[in-house]
Amino acid sequence: MRLGFNFTLGDTYDMAQRLIGEGHIDYCEFLIDNFFCVDPDELAKAFDCPVGLHIMYSKFLEADRPTLVDFAARLRDYIDALNPIYVSDHILRFSHEGRAFFHLGEIDYSAEYESVRDKVVQWQEIVGQRIHFENYPSIMDGGVEAPAFFERLMKETGAGVLFDASNAVCANRNCGTPFEAWRNVIAAAQHFHVAGYRQSLIEPFISLDTHAEALAPDTLAFLQNYRSVFDKPGATMTYERDDEIEFDAIVADLKVLRDLFGQPEERRHDLALTA
Amino acid sequence: MTLLSLPSRTDRDLYPALMSPELNAKYPPDHKAFVRIDVSLRIFWHTLFDICPELLELSGPDGMSIFRPFMAWAGEKKLAFDWSYYLWVYVWLREESPFKDRLLADDKYLRSIMAASAARWAILDRGRSRGIVIGCADTTDLVIGWKCRSVRLGREIELVEPEEPLPAPPELFGYFTLPGFELDIFPGWQSLAR
Repeated sequence: MRLGFNFTLGDTYDMAQRLIGEGHIDYCEFLIDNFFCVDPDELAKAFDCPVGLHIMYSKFLEADRPTLVDFAARLRDYIDALNPIYVSDHILRFSHEGRAFFHLGEIDYSAEYESVRDKVVQWQEIVGQRIHFENYPSIMDGGVEAPAFFERLMKETGAGVLFDASNAVCANRNCGTPFEAWRNVIAAAQHFHVAGYRQSLIEPFISLDTHAEALAPDTLAFLQNYRSVFDKPGATMTYERDDEIEFDAIVADLKVLRDLFGQPEERRHDLALTA
Repeated sequence: MTLLSLPSRTDRDLYPALMSPELNAKYPPDHKAFVRIDVSLRIFWHTLFDICPELLELSGPDGMSIFRPFMAWAGEKKLAFDWSYYLWVYVWLREESPFKDRLLADDKYLRSIMAASAARWAILDRGRSRGIVIGCADTTDLVIGWKCRSVRLGREIELVEPEEPLPAPPELFGYFTLPGFELDIFPGWQSLAR
């Protein structure tokens, strides 16, 4: 399992460099659409490691085709320059009746499958690339339908799933989605996210995907229990931290993940060659 | 009034309520749906007051004398809540609230509001423009938001006091976008989208 760190804006550039330099991570994940005004060649030279590209605001379920074609053309420049390990995106609702959500919405898996499937097919065709779609940290009870939705989506579209382990933990806590229901999705997925979460401020408490805390014990237990399903050749796990960004705390979590999954194949090979 | 029969199986059932304090009050407070909507509303709240904490001087520390009536007004007008969110708060404060005199007595509120909207554009817009220029009829100063131009940098916000002021926007606020990282054009003001 290769470990990575999400790089969202220049503020964490020096820290990401240090994480790479000290061997805490093996690759870097760019929140790529934040960098659409940065020269692709500059971005390609930014870090001496492989990269993944994570899309936040394609809004591919809501945007019109010309907007998506233009977005994809710019994304393509970065794909060609950076040759990423993966490209990932989100199945989210960004707005309702033209009004933007600030805490993004989850779709209705039972009512929207066909329309989402068609948009996924179109979006992959426009980008010219297989895309891995991230699962949502479900709150409401309909979240229990997410595993079957993603499993079917992969089969019918060729898309991948960027499986966010801590989002699945939130879904388990909030709406009882069993971890076991995700087994086939995890087994088919190669790319993963993990982060901290916290409880809502008022009761009945719900768990919120905040990316601002240390990894929770139940998240680590989930990774431990399904370790062999997660870990496979070429697998990646990105540690996300968007707030309360503190180097030592991040390194502590990365060390826990490294202890759990061991050195990646590539790194073991490198060590063997230099030993 | 609490309606126990409101549907709440999915987020989709709650979409209309996710930005409405009034609709949230119709869900029982001991139900997950109420908390889900509360989480959504808190992010609207924090997006406003964490970025423009000066506004709490007007409203009091909980911000509710601004937040609740503004959200209701925005709902009536079906405001998009895009990057111009903050500018609409200013419009409401100036035209609909009891805070107008205090608002206009100190231009720190306007500067903070304009900077917040410019920053929000710079972080959220995915069009090809590099920068946005925001003008207001209450000032000749301009605020520019620049998108991230280097891997080592983030968005940048600039306050510009032009030697030769641009004509005032025809409405309270106007904006135009820049195709490059220079303020070298004035294509005229665009109105805020609702």
